[in-house]
Amino acid sequence: MIRIVRSTIIDAPTDRVWAFLRDFNGHDRWHPAVAKSAIERNQSADKIGCVRRFFLRDGSELRERLLTLSDLEQTFSYCLIDTPVPLFNYVAHVRLAPVTDGDRTFWDWRCTFTTRKGQEAEMTRMVGEDIYDAGFAAVRTHLSASSATEGRA
Amino acid sequence: MARVYVSSVINGRSDRVWARVRDFNGLPAWHPGIADSRIESGEPADKIGCVRDFRLRNGDRIREKLLGLSDFDLFCTYSILESPMGVDNYVATLRLTPITDGERTFAEWTAEFDCPPEREAELISNIGGGVFQGGFDALKRQFGG
Repeated sequence: MIRIVRSTIIDAPTDRVWAFLRDFNGHDRWHPAVAKSAIERNQSADKIGCVRRFFLRDGSELRERLLTLSDLEQTFSYCLIDTPVPLFNYVAHVRLAPVTDGDRTFWDWRCTFTTRKGQEAEMTRMVGEDIYDAGFAAVRTHLSASSATEGRA
Repeated sequence: MARVYVSSVINGRSDRVWARVRDFNGLPAWHPGIADSRIESGEPADKIGCVRDFRLRNGDRIREKLLGLSDFDLFCTYSILESPMGVDNYVATLRLTPITDGERTFAEWTAEFDCPPEREAELISNIGGGVFQGGFDALKRQFGG
């Protein structure tokens, strides 16, 4: 079992970061790896058990199921159902928490999974860097862009 | 039930910050509000159920019982047995989480307790703003920001 933990501090209040992350179908609007996404069976993106089917920029197709979502705790978790890469038993958890002595956000993104022998390093790098680290950077960029827009208004 | 939540970013690796705060008898070494502390009955400070008897700088005496301690998840949970604060069912947790993009630590300190409604705001302010934030400010100084 491989365990990945990534965390960072975002210079914005948790409500603004949560507004990005809460929408289980919204990652195609902020994550650079995701080209387009849709929730299957016309379900609402905050219905526990809903499935998002999405395409990465490289054309690969994935499906993930929403397992938990809490507006109180600002957490959600999901698992991977279908993927062309060897990620098995993949379950991920996202948690936001306010940094109360400064209006900032702690963002923790972690998962466990198994893979084929010999591909551990490659999968670890892909999930940790291409998905999680890249996601942190993208949300940071979007937040500073929207702050700049608000500043001009 | 009143609830206090205070969190902060400490500029040091979580294992180093944990080494500072994990000692249930070690408050005087890092928290500026605590004058002295001892563990009752000669028990080790990491024995679940042990009781610390400590005094604040203002002379108040508090006895607290260790309920949980995890070197894996980096948290410590304790309850108040005896204090002049006038709180009931007080349970608090100090938890550290590594911030992986930089050698920093996310520190959270929470408490839940019962008290008369008219004293709730004052107690939340004293515990959260005084004790918890005071401890985090001291750790931030000790770890350089």
